[in-house]
Amino acid sequence: MKKLLVALLALALLASSVFANGAAEKSSASASSDEPVTIEVWYGAAITEAGPIPEDWVGYDIVREKLNINLELTALPSNENDQDVRIQAAGAANDLPDLFMVRRPVLANLVAQGLVAPVDDYYALMPHRTEIMYDENAIRMTTIDGENWGFASPGAVVRNEGILVRKDWLDNLGLEVPTTTEELRAVLRAFTFDDPDGNGRDDTWGYGAFVESDMNINGYPGSRFFPLLGAFDVPGLWSFDSDHLGLNVYRPEFYDAMVYIRSLIAEGLVDPNWLSYRKDDFRAAWKQGRFGVMKEQNAAFAGEANYAPFDANFPDGEWIVIDAIEGPEGYAEVGAYDQNYRIFAISQKAADEGKAEKICELLEWMSSDEGYLLCGWGVEGVNYVLDENGIPSAGDLGDMAFSGTQGQVYTQLRNMVFYNSDTELASRYPTYVTESGKTMSALTTLREMQSKNWIPAIGSGMMPTPNADVFRYFEQSLAEFLSGQRELTPENWQAFLDQFNKIGGQAWNEAGIAYAQENGLAY
Amino acid sequence: MTIDKKTTKNGSTVVNAPLTQKGRLGREIKRHTSVYLLLLIPLIYYIIFKYVPIWNAQIAFKDFQARKGVLGSAWVGLQNFSDFINSFYFWELLRNTVFYSIGKIIISLPLSIILAIAIYECTRPVLRKIVQTLAYLPHFLSWVIMYGILLSLLAPADGVLNDLIRLMGGTPIDFLSSVNAFPWVVLVSDAWKEMGWSAIIFIAALMGIDVSLFEAAMVEGANSWQRIKYITLPAIRPVIVTVLLLKIGTILDAGFDQIYMLYSQPVYSVADIIDTWVYRQGLLQFQFGLATAVGLFKGVFGMILMLVSNKLVSRMNEGSSIF
Repeated sequence: MKKLLVALLALALLASSVFANGAAEKSSASASSDEPVTIEVWYGAAITEAGPIPEDWVGYDIVREKLNINLELTALPSNENDQDVRIQAAGAANDLPDLFMVRRPVLANLVAQGLVAPVDDYYALMPHRTEIMYDENAIRMTTIDGENWGFASPGAVVRNEGILVRKDWLDNLGLEVPTTTEELRAVLRAFTFDDPDGNGRDDTWGYGAFVESDMNINGYPGSRFFPLLGAFDVPGLWSFDSDHLGLNVYRPEFYDAMVYIRSLIAEGLVDPNWLSYRKDDFRAAWKQGRFGVMKEQNAAFAGEANYAPFDANFPDGEWIVIDAIEGPEGYAEVGAYDQNYRIFAISQKAADEGKAEKICELLEWMSSDEGYLLCGWGVEGVNYVLDENGIPSAGDLGDMAFSGTQGQVYTQLRNMVFYNSDTELASRYPTYVTESGKTMSALTTLREMQSKNWIPAIGSGMMPTPNADVFRYFEQSLAEFLSGQRELTPENWQAFLDQFNKIGGQAWNEAGIAYAQENGLAY
Repeated sequence: MTIDKKTTKNGSTVVNAPLTQKGRLGREIKRHTSVYLLLLIPLIYYIIFKYVPIWNAQIAFKDFQARKGVLGSAWVGLQNFSDFINSFYFWELLRNTVFYSIGKIIISLPLSIILAIAIYECTRPVLRKIVQTLAYLPHFLSWVIMYGILLSLLAPADGVLNDLIRLMGGTPIDFLSSVNAFPWVVLVSDAWKEMGWSAIIFIAALMGIDVSLFEAAMVEGANSWQRIKYITLPAIRPVIVTVLLLKIGTILDAGFDQIYMLYSQPVYSVADIIDTWVYRQGLLQFQFGLATAVGLFKGVFGMILMLVSNKLVSRMNEGSSIF
């Protein structure tokens, strides 16, 4: 009996060790077995206000049948900070998904932690996708310490914002389009105090904005003030001009720009809600006719759904894109621009499990004709039809069309396949006629905005970021100057710069200059 | 060890074998199985979500590297604590955090008690239910929605409150971006949002007061205020003390959601609290060691404060302390 028990025990131990090994083998070799390989993807939703991709999406079946991949999709939060936290929390738990969208500063953190896999060798596995998406600049965007750590596909179209002015208000008041900072001041004054909409109420302001700041390109007070900063040659956080490479805040022109902006605010020419507005509040405000000059993105302004409320409120209202405003020294820039990328990284965990090649197979398929149309527009005849030029359009498909309320959820992955081709732009920004009879096109608006004068800040997204306390000091001080809490005098400005240097601003600036020089970002 | 005695029906006494502590517990569990099963649910919850994670508190003393895991990361001693305490804004963060915590206690607690007593004293059931529901409602709104409401009330250009100020000939105030006004916005909006919800515990305590006490007081000619002063308030005093002690234990939690939604750069000096700093410095910059160290610091600080307060309460008024 005793012998039998010992034998059974030995058998159990043997069996457990065999099964344990088997499980481990299955896990590591799953990529090459007949079983579908599960690929978990965290993507950035193309339409943040719409729901996730439905479970009945035909793409799941196609990738399972054609690529032997069991695709698991999860949408990241729409807010970038929330995205960062979500990814970093998963990173801290060593539980990153196989493939995920990530911003570059976060990618740098994950690289330092050894949580993402180098991808230098994988471009060769995706020849078509690499050809249309990953050029030299894209690869440089995700190169850290000589190795490449993510696939950077083209993001939003660059220089897609412009200075917009209410033409109907100018006409009502008999004013010309402003071209200089002082002419702009006069127009803003008239828009604020001379009842440009003729409703008899004191409910309009000259300039509308909100704080859209960051540690990469926007700085503070952020991109919505770029047209004003651009008149002094200081839009953007960094200057890449060799003559004054470094943080723009150190340039005397930045102080002049601050004085100019502060004077507009002090005079009440800027919508006083600018410090409290979030993006949506700001966009609701211009549609309600609260201000007459702003910087806005082409589609957010001229996209059919976005323009409709303004059109309904002001059938005779008209915004026009104007040239950059010229400052006292002759500078005139709409803003600073970087190349926009959406970075997708492979977790080290996925690479260790042998999934990297399968991920490349998936990405290459997504860029094939079949994957491109499916992810970008849905199913032909259901979500889109091809027009006479071969451009996908909504046709008469109603709500199920890729632009319709029900159909748009099937295109949530389009940011993984779009690369700003002419087909995409023509499809995304069709010409339409508004309820009041205006002919609008976000594509025409885009081209007009791109034709204006912008200053390059290529590489802003790669520049070193400071300690959070340093950036807080930077933002807070500038906000205090602009809001009038701290008087904007040369002495106070110098005191701010001295303290900024002391707590780490100088080190940040020097690190940025060194990085820009080492990487050939200066021009 | 105890001796288990039982008296039978015919009056004779049966002495069972002495029970050990373990045996007694086993028998207790067997006798009250259902009660212990109920206890099991919170017990499991606390073990999984409160005690097991304590293991990870060691991250506070490490240079945490996710790939190496908790055990594999290198020890750095008190470096993370030192980084926090020596950070540029430490004293400001501590000041703001304690200010908002104490401010919320000072404003919200009395308001909750007053609301609870008012609801309890209300003799019209319909009115009582309407007031109660309306008072609870804001608690269920997220701070994102509350921000929208506050913006429409307080916006400098077209907020309702500023419209009133303008109507009376005053100058509009940028409540959300002014260092003088912002703290009040935080304290008052918190009181508005949470007052009704906090009143629930006091209403429950009020329901436990013997009604005959009020009847006797009325017979003796006591008016409403005297009944509140001499019966209601003393009766709910233990609950007030308990709530106060629990709030002191979380004094370094000043309300991340609220501050994060409401604050902006011009008011950082009066708005930035420890939790918002941890969010920016710890979570957004991947310094999980630092974030854990601050969490541990807050927990230990809160526990010490609570123990001291509990001891003081116990000395001043025996029976009112939590333990």
